[in-house]
Amino acid sequence: MNDTVIKTKRLTKKYGTQTVVNKVGLHVQKGRIYGLLGRNGAGKTTIMKMILGLTPITSGSAEVFGREIGGNAKRIYSRIGAIIETPGFYPNLTGTENLEIFARLRGTAFPNAVKNALEVVGLPYKDKKTFAHYSLGMKQRLGIANAILHDPELLILDEPTNGLDPIGIAEVREFIKALSVEHGKTILISSHILSEISVLADDIGIIDQGVLLEESSMRELEKRNGKYILLQVSDIPKTILILERSFHVKDYSVQDEQTVRIYDTTLNMGEVNKALVMEEITVIRSGICNDTLEDYFKKITGGEGIA
Amino acid sequence: MNTCLLILLVLALLLIFCLIYKLKHINEQISFIKDVLADMKAGNLNRRILVQENDRTKQICYDINQIAINSQSQLIHQKQSEQAYKRLMTSLSHDVKTPLASLVGYLEAVESQLVTGKEKDEYIHVAHEKAQYLKHFVEHLFEWVKLDSGEQVFHFEVSDLNEITRNIMADWILVLENSHFEYEIDIPEEEYPVRMDSNAYTRVINNLLQNVMVHSGGSKIILRIAKEQQRVKVIIADNGKGIASDKLPHIFERLYQCDHSRSAKGNGLGLAITRELVNAHKGTITVNSALDRGTEFVISFPKAL
Repeated sequence: MNDTVIKTKRLTKKYGTQTVVNKVGLHVQKGRIYGLLGRNGAGKTTIMKMILGLTPITSGSAEVFGREIGGNAKRIYSRIGAIIETPGFYPNLTGTENLEIFARLRGTAFPNAVKNALEVVGLPYKDKKTFAHYSLGMKQRLGIANAILHDPELLILDEPTNGLDPIGIAEVREFIKALSVEHGKTILISSHILSEISVLADDIGIIDQGVLLEESSMRELEKRNGKYILLQVSDIPKTILILERSFHVKDYSVQDEQTVRIYDTTLNMGEVNKALVMEEITVIRSGICNDTLEDYFKKITGGEGIA
Repeated sequence: MNTCLLILLVLALLLIFCLIYKLKHINEQISFIKDVLADMKAGNLNRRILVQENDRTKQICYDINQIAINSQSQLIHQKQSEQAYKRLMTSLSHDVKTPLASLVGYLEAVESQLVTGKEKDEYIHVAHEKAQYLKHFVEHLFEWVKLDSGEQVFHFEVSDLNEITRNIMADWILVLENSHFEYEIDIPEEEYPVRMDSNAYTRVINNLLQNVMVHSGGSKIILRIAKEQQRVKVIIADNGKGIASDKLPHIFERLYQCDHSRSAKGNGLGLAITRELVNAHKGTITVNSALDRGTEFVISFPKAL
């Protein structure tokens, strides 16, 4: 079975002479959360709309479950749940009634689908409040409930935490994570907030002015993230003795037979190297890693940063 | 007569068309179910058959979906514990390696007579401390693995939570006074019957109090017991440095430590063990904290009837 759920090739969107999405090649893997990170107007929503076939593709292609959506729409839509911008609900009906209509249209995967979806997002079942009286946060939650109503394999969520208060954001994050970790769903999520993507995503795509600057796994990125000194030496016990006795280093961890990480980056490495060499310890490598994710994104977006 | 026949004929034709239409619909549905089943068989357990309210196949499809959902969650559970095990192994190797390497360093210096006299004694003292740390770590680890694999045997019986807590605290008061900790203990006089394993409960309270003494940086411990409808709450609070909100959700994870320091004090297993023990009592443990505002652990047990 193919493990890439969404694959785009040189996906491009032009409005007149303006190119809003430029040759984007996304790869969303099965069972993972893919975070699309970029500032407002970077082209995130347009990419999602093209993947879903909601707006025509100028050139290139977008495949979902190994097929292009044009022509296969009906069969593919039943496997996707999406929120793109504000979803259309009937303002004079309650949340439950709205979802019951969608459940009838789309079909359901198990009994009590509406009740279940509302429970997941923390909205009351059979509440008397009509959609028109919902707060922004409740509307957003109902949108997510609608997206998971038919228990789809793939979720496409465009800025799902927009308009939520901090507690709401944490809750939504939690259940998006749970959908992936506990239910194995594949999720494509967009955001302009770095911290949000970095806690949620397994893979990350950074988009700036319509161009996908980087696509990489979070684990790979985290390797470049952190503040520590890496010291590779011939004798670890001796080195640690010197670090503890002469330099009062307490915060360190031994990585393998030759490498130790020191978390105090203010340490004077010149002095340390000298002391080690005096004790006839060979220093194979010593380097400082001082990048945070934020710094890294600034670098690749040309100094402007993301959020 | 003729008109009668004609009407019958038309009715029969209508019925046939109706049946053909129905049959076509059912055929479509069956072919759709076949597609989905093929996909599920190939391993895609996230696939669902969607049915309309009055489809005849509704119950069958719901049942198929349920089977897929169940196997999926089993599979995921398995994968999760595999991953957790792998993570445990990697972090473990670091956690053992770091104090061990340091221990070897001190002992080597003593052995090769690099240090003498008072300094030598101090080196031996440090080495001894590190060996103690390692011993505790390994003990904790075994305890954790036993709990995690469900091999720990509990002896539950209905006891008075207040009485047991009072006994635990009696042992702690001297320790607290010796380390210049202020304390405030509020245990009600009446009986709060809870189904518990008193050894495990003692471990829970000891772990939390130990945690306050070692990590909180505070000077005061508060222990309070309160009844709340069908539950009993044990609250342990301090006036220490608190825990930052981004770290708070992780503190019960095994091997999670707020500071990177692997060489100092705790071993990142205490709270994970505590939570497992509380869970075994069908209880919950939560934490409220903010930087510089102290920390409050709330354990809640169901009341025995």
